[in-house]
Amino acid sequence: MADYQEAPLASRPKTLDPSEYFNLSAEKRRADEDRAAIRANLKRQYQTQLNDPHRKALVDDPALTRWVYARANPYPFFRPTFKTSLLGAMFGVVPLVVLYYVFKTDRDRKEAMIKAGTLERKFCLSS
Amino acid sequence: MRTSQSVRQQQPVNMAGVGFLRWAQALPKRKGSGIAGLLSGARAASGPSKDTILGPFPTTPEERAAAAKKYNMKVEDYEPYPDKGEGFGDYPKLPDRSQHERDPWYQWDHPDLRRNWGEPMHWDFDMFIRNRVDTSPTLLSWSSMCKQLFGSLGFILLMFYLGEIFPFYQAVAPKQYPYNNLYLERGGDPEKQPEEVKNYVI
Repeated sequence: MADYQEAPLASRPKTLDPSEYFNLSAEKRRADEDRAAIRANLKRQYQTQLNDPHRKALVDDPALTRWVYARANPYPFFRPTFKTSLLGAMFGVVPLVVLYYVFKTDRDRKEAMIKAGTLERKFCLSS
Repeated sequence: MRTSQSVRQQQPVNMAGVGFLRWAQALPKRKGSGIAGLLSGARAASGPSKDTILGPFPTTPEERAAAAKKYNMKVEDYEPYPDKGEGFGDYPKLPDRSQHERDPWYQWDHPDLRRNWGEPMHWDFDMFIRNRVDTSPTLLSWSSMCKQLFGSLGFILLMFYLGEIFPFYQAVAPKQYPYNNLYLERGGDPEKQPEEVKNYVI
């Protein structure tokens, strides 16, 4: 498999990654084992709950709860910095102001033309 | 009939009134001004416990270890988002890889999401599901794709613009009618002799 080329639009699978087999260090192996241990523990917890014959409810995923909570509650950790204030102004304030002025000027111009009688009112379905 | 000593005939109490009274009595002892001083700072016990919700950015190694344990990660792998006040707290910063790139043949707990139960979710997980953004490697580089797309679009638009400036069409002339430009059909006097109209040149 030395001449393996990745399929287009695919990343190289982990089992064909040469760094998994060559230039290994004890730390890397230990780190992989620790990760595998965490993963195996989670798998065991899930399978126990999944196959429990007395279970009637859904299996709750605490990672999902944490994610949902984190996405819904960033407010305690918000701090007004230059970047966050700039983003807030750009998305919250500027569109309102700009759109107000654009619509106002356009409509005032149209109103002035109507009053002066210069507005050409063609029969056109799109304004 | 036996009644225990603690059972007494009690008047029904309006608990809402009791609650309001206690709140009013506790008001002067609160710190915080304005609306923050009126609201209770405590979360309901029916919600998630403190060790499952988002915590503040970890500063000490102990906090980092505790956060890594909370999110089921190794301490070496755990990397929080930089503390720029953007509201991430201690949520881990995972690599921006979509679920398309995960092994399709591994036995995931949730095969459609290619995710195991309890695995830490990316902040933008809902963006990286298999129906949405795909970060798989592309056949061409980004610069190459951009050049091809905008190059061809730009050329097409340029040609349209030039076509507006220099229009090109079949040469036409006003339509020529027979019988002296249709003298009788156009209401000419049948008694009078019309002038001769010659629409050709030999």
